Amino acid sequence: MSGAVGREPVFPTRQSLGLMKSKLKGAEIGHSLLKRKSEALTKRFREITRRIDEAKQKMGRVMQIAAFSLAEVSYAVGGDIGYQVQESAKQARFRVRAKHENISGVLLPQFESYTKEGINDFALTGLGKGGQQIQRCRETYARAVETLVELASLQTAFLILDEVIKVVNRRVNAIEHVIIPRTENTIKYINSELDELDREEFYRLKKVSNKKQRDVAAADAEILAARQKEAERLAQNGTPAQEAKKAEEPEVTDVLGEQEDTDVIF
Amino acid sequence: MEGLFFNVNSGYLEGIVRGYRNSLLTGQNYSNLTQCETIDDVKLQLGPAYGDFLASLPPNPSTSSLAGKMTDKLVSEFRYLVAQATGSTAQFLKYLTYGYMIDNIALLITGTLHERDTRELLERCHPLGWFETLPVLCVATNIEELYNSVLIETPLAPYFKGSLNHQDLDELNIEIVRNTLYKNYLEDFFNFVNTHPDFAGPTQEVMTEILQFEADRRSINITLNSFGTELSKQERRKLYPEFGKLYPEGSLMLSRAEDIEGVALAVSAIADYKTFFDAVGLNQGGGLGGMGGSDGKSLEDLFYQKEMDMSKLVFTRQFTPAVVYGWMKLKEQEIRNVTWISECIAQNQKERIGNFISVF
Amino acid sequence: MAASAASYKDRQLLAVIGDEDSVTGLLLAGIGHVTDPPEAQRNFLVVDSKTENTEIERAFVNFTQERKDIAVVLINQHVAERIRHSVDTFADPFPAVLEIPSKDHPYDPEKDSVLKRVRRLFGE
Repeated sequence: MSGAVGREPVFPTRQSLGLMKSKLKGAEIGHSLLKRKSEALTKRFREITRRIDEAKQKMGRVMQIAAFSLAEVSYAVGGDIGYQVQESAKQARFRVRAKHENISGVLLPQFESYTKEGINDFALTGLGKGGQQIQRCRETYARAVETLVELASLQTAFLILDEVIKVVNRRVNAIEHVIIPRTENTIKYINSELDELDREEFYRLKKVSNKKQRDVAAADAEILAARQKEAERLAQNGTPAQEAKKAEEPEVTDVLGEQEDTDVIF
Repeated sequence: MEGLFFNVNSGYLEGIVRGYRNSLLTGQNYSNLTQCETIDDVKLQLGPAYGDFLASLPPNPSTSSLAGKMTDKLVSEFRYLVAQATGSTAQFLKYLTYGYMIDNIALLITGTLHERDTRELLERCHPLGWFETLPVLCVATNIEELYNSVLIETPLAPYFKGSLNHQDLDELNIEIVRNTLYKNYLEDFFNFVNTHPDFAGPTQEVMTEILQFEADRRSINITLNSFGTELSKQERRKLYPEFGKLYPEGSLMLSRAEDIEGVALAVSAIADYKTFFDAVGLNQGGGLGGMGGSDGKSLEDLFYQKEMDMSKLVFTRQFTPAVVYGWMKLKEQEIRNVTWISECIAQNQKERIGNFISVF
Repeated sequence: MAASAASYKDRQLLAVIGDEDSVTGLLLAGIGHVTDPPEAQRNFLVVDSKTENTEIERAFVNFTQERKDIAVVLINQHVAERIRHSVDTFADPFPAVLEIPSKDHPYDPEKDSVLKRVRRLFGE
């Protein structure tokens, strides 16, 4: 058939025409819905991208402040606490939990930071000196990590949305450029096939009716001939009553037969 | 009279230290340093004072490597002094290193507890706290072995004995171990300078004052830093050195203090500390977090300032090895200052660059 | 979506690969976690000039693929630079890989693998 997309392999029947029509309708609704979804997601996506850019710049500043507070610690402690800190880490105090946010049916995780109470691996670090600076440094870093977590959720949302938008756009395009044209083609094909069948049928029926008319005419002629024969015979030797009776009966059946025939034809 | 024979053995050493003292950075040097734009400039400014030690640094070195090189100079000068010292002065210098040894041992204990390869830790040890048998401690694979080898191999054995056993090393927080050792060390040092006949006179006077201050500072810091932790008051009290201006009444009050006001009250008998607390503590809401806001100096800063003043005063005395102590403290402060300044420069935080303690 | 609920429900921890100062600071903030023995695993790696790239790479793979309890991997940008290929090819949403600046290496947005994608999308 016409078009590069081809058509569905269906028999051109009225039933499949109905199917195809409802399929086309479904595809059109789906297309507009998906298109809207994709637009909503893209809007969100652009917003997230902008926020990522901002958050990354902010992170640069926050981390610098945090690093500086660590410099304060090393000034106050007058030494290196790195190793001790690494070794005394046991349980994470700072954790994240994931929540979701629903954007047009896409679940975006949002990390939310929380501190687990009662865990304090470094309470005694800097007991002799520098404890206050360490305390402050911890607070600064905790705030910095919160910013990082925020950025992490944005980034994850970015990656997921990127993926989802790609999928949705692919679907939109598939519907727009493949499914809809193909269904339309199929409908066109079925329609043309059905028309063709109609024409054939009409022609065939016309032929049949012609033949029937011919048959009827022949039968009429025969009956007429028979009647004339009968009339000649009666005129020679029969009663008028018998003649009337015999003449009536074939006429009734004849009328019925003719009516039935026309009914069948048209 | 006390100075009559001092120069026989230690005169040279004292002279050297006084020479070292003159090479310390002055206020003029510091103001030059604060004008620097890059670490390279800082390096250049330090050139006259540190010379060859900084030569091997790459261009724009990290602040930590800069500090490392400066410490190297301190260490090599100190080693030279140790090599020149004899008799009681040598003993005195040894005592100076014990504080660093405590840190090193604490590091090794931490490493052993977590089953790390302690050999890697040797690089992290403070070079002043190095002693020949330190690598031997790395052989120990569990805490009991380590404890035994510490007892046998190190000069710190007396500080362990009696107050800590090997189970304590396992169970107690390393900070408690460290502070217990430090307490014992300070007490021993105090006892040493006060009883040794050679030190009667200026050394005794000066060192008593300095060590008392050190002891009080530790007590106050430990108290302040233990608020909100699991350290109980009894345990806390065990960490206070048993001498100092605060001992015994002040220490007792400190051990009962529950907040910063309690601490301020405990130290109010000593005029110096009272001024410190008046300057920083209570007017900032009294919370720990409020201490030493960015505008003013923290308690910690004031203590350092005081320590520096005392160290500087040591040089007004003669015929005493205490000048070595004073010089070392001054030098350490100098390294901290330079680290701070270069950190500020490296991180573009110029507004707080003046937050160091210039002594001369 | 590929990110089913189960894949991030248990993810609670942060992990860090970085230089000593960054790791120390972040540990002070309380992100450090050591799993119970016998297989004690730490969620942080200190990288210095002596650390081999393979070791960094191994830790990265461990944090991103093997461990299921890590939600965010923080990595110093200059460290990420050393294993750029692995970082760039890792595109899963979980765990989130975040490049952070370090004290001695200020943040350079040009090198960030995510920002690079952002920029590319906007055709900049």
